Amino acid sequence: MKALHFLAIFIIPLGLIIAAVPQNKTKPYKLTADQLLDEVNTRTQYIAPETVADMIVKKDPSYRLIDVRGANDFEKFSLPGAINIPVTDLLSDKYTDLLNQDVKMNIFYSNGTITANEAWMVTRQLGYKNNFVLEGGLNYWFDAILNAQKPASTSPDEEFAKYDFRVGAGKALGGGGAVAVQSGQSQGAASAKPALQAAPKKKKASGGC
Amino acid sequence: MGPLSVNEIISENTNLFLAFIIGIGFGFVLEQSGFSSSRKLAGVFYGYDTVVLKVFFTAAITAMLGLLFFSLFGWIDLNMVYVNPTYLTSAIIGGIIMGAGFIIGGYCPGTSFCGASIGKIDAIVFIGGLFIGVLIFGLGYNIWDGMYMAKFLGSPKISQTLGLSDGVFAFILIIVALSMFWLAEWAEKKFPREEY
Repeated sequence: MKALHFLAIFIIPLGLIIAAVPQNKTKPYKLTADQLLDEVNTRTQYIAPETVADMIVKKDPSYRLIDVRGANDFEKFSLPGAINIPVTDLLSDKYTDLLNQDVKMNIFYSNGTITANEAWMVTRQLGYKNNFVLEGGLNYWFDAILNAQKPASTSPDEEFAKYDFRVGAGKALGGGGAVAVQSGQSQGAASAKPALQAAPKKKKASGGC
Repeated sequence: MGPLSVNEIISENTNLFLAFIIGIGFGFVLEQSGFSSSRKLAGVFYGYDTVVLKVFFTAAITAMLGLLFFSLFGWIDLNMVYVNPTYLTSAIIGGIIMGAGFIIGGYCPGTSFCGASIGKIDAIVFIGGLFIGVLIFGLGYNIWDGMYMAKFLGSPKISQTLGLSDGVFAFILIIVALSMFWLAEWAEKKFPREEY
C-alpha cells in the first residue's frame, strides 16, 4: 500500500504538469534549403527495388506505388497496384489527401528517377512526409528484378542471395527469369505464385516483454 | 538531439551494444523480481498475484512521462521515434493467442528465457512451443498473409484518435494505471493463495 501511495504522490503531479504545458512543436514544419540538400545528399528518399518487390509479393498494405509519368505511359505499363498521378497534376487538390498523409508509404516511380525525384522534391518542400522514390526507376526495375543477371562465380555469397531473391521476385511479378521483357507487356506470365523466400527485411527493433 | 541512432549521434553498432547492455539489465531485473516463475504470470489472470501487471504498467507510465518531458525539453523528437504500425485484425488475433499462451504457459516470451536461464523445465518447453509457432507461421505465410496484413491503420496514436493532446492523455492514463493498481491489490486480498 505504501508503495502505491508513494507512486501516486510522485507521478500525479508530473502527469498534471505534462497535461498542462503545451506540446513542444518548435521543429519547423517546412524544410530549409540546407535540410533538403542534406536529404538529397544522403539519398534518404530512395527505396531499393528489392524492397518494393518484396512488398508487392507480400501484398504489404503499408505502401502505395504512384506512377508519376503521363497517363499514356501508365496505360502501357505500370507496376502492380500502382496509381497514376502525372507530375504535371501533382499539386491538384484531388491528390492532396493521397500525398500529405501519415498512414502509407508513397513510392514515386518514373522511367528513370528524374521525374520521380521532381515529384518527391516538390512534396518534400511542402512538408509532406512518407513520400519516397523507387531507386533506379522502371529501367533499373527491368534490369534488376525482371531480368536479373547471374553474378560471376567468384562473387560473394550476398550477391548470390540477392540474385536468388531477384529471380524469385521476378517470377512472382510476371517476368520470365532470363526472358527479356523490353516491351513491358508481361500479361501472359504464369499467375501461380511461386514460393518466395524473401531476404529478411531489416526492421527496427520493437519492444515487448 | 534524440533519438540518438536515428540522428546518427551514435552508430548503429553502438546502438546494438547499448541494447545488449540494457537487455542484460532487463533480464536480471525480471529474474530478481521473480518473473521467472510461471505461477507469478498466471497469477495476474487468477488475481492472486498482480505484481506483473503493476511492474509493467509502472514501467509504461514512467517511460511515457520520461519521453514526454524529454520532448518538452527538446531532447528528443517524438516524430522520429519508431511506432509499430497497426494491423487491426492481426493485432486482435495475436492478442488473443498471446493472452491464452500467458495463462496456459505462465510465461511471456521474455520471461520464458529468464526461466530457461535458471534451468526451469517448463520455461524450456515453453520456448520449444514458441519456436514451433514461429515455424508454423513462417511456413504457412501464404495461407494467412491476407489476414495478417488486413485492416492496416498506419501508426495512429490513441491521443490523436481521441482528439486529445499527448499530455492530457498521459494524465488520464496515469489515473487509469493507479486505479488499476488499487483494484489489483484489492483482488490480491480477495483471491489469496497460500504458498504457490
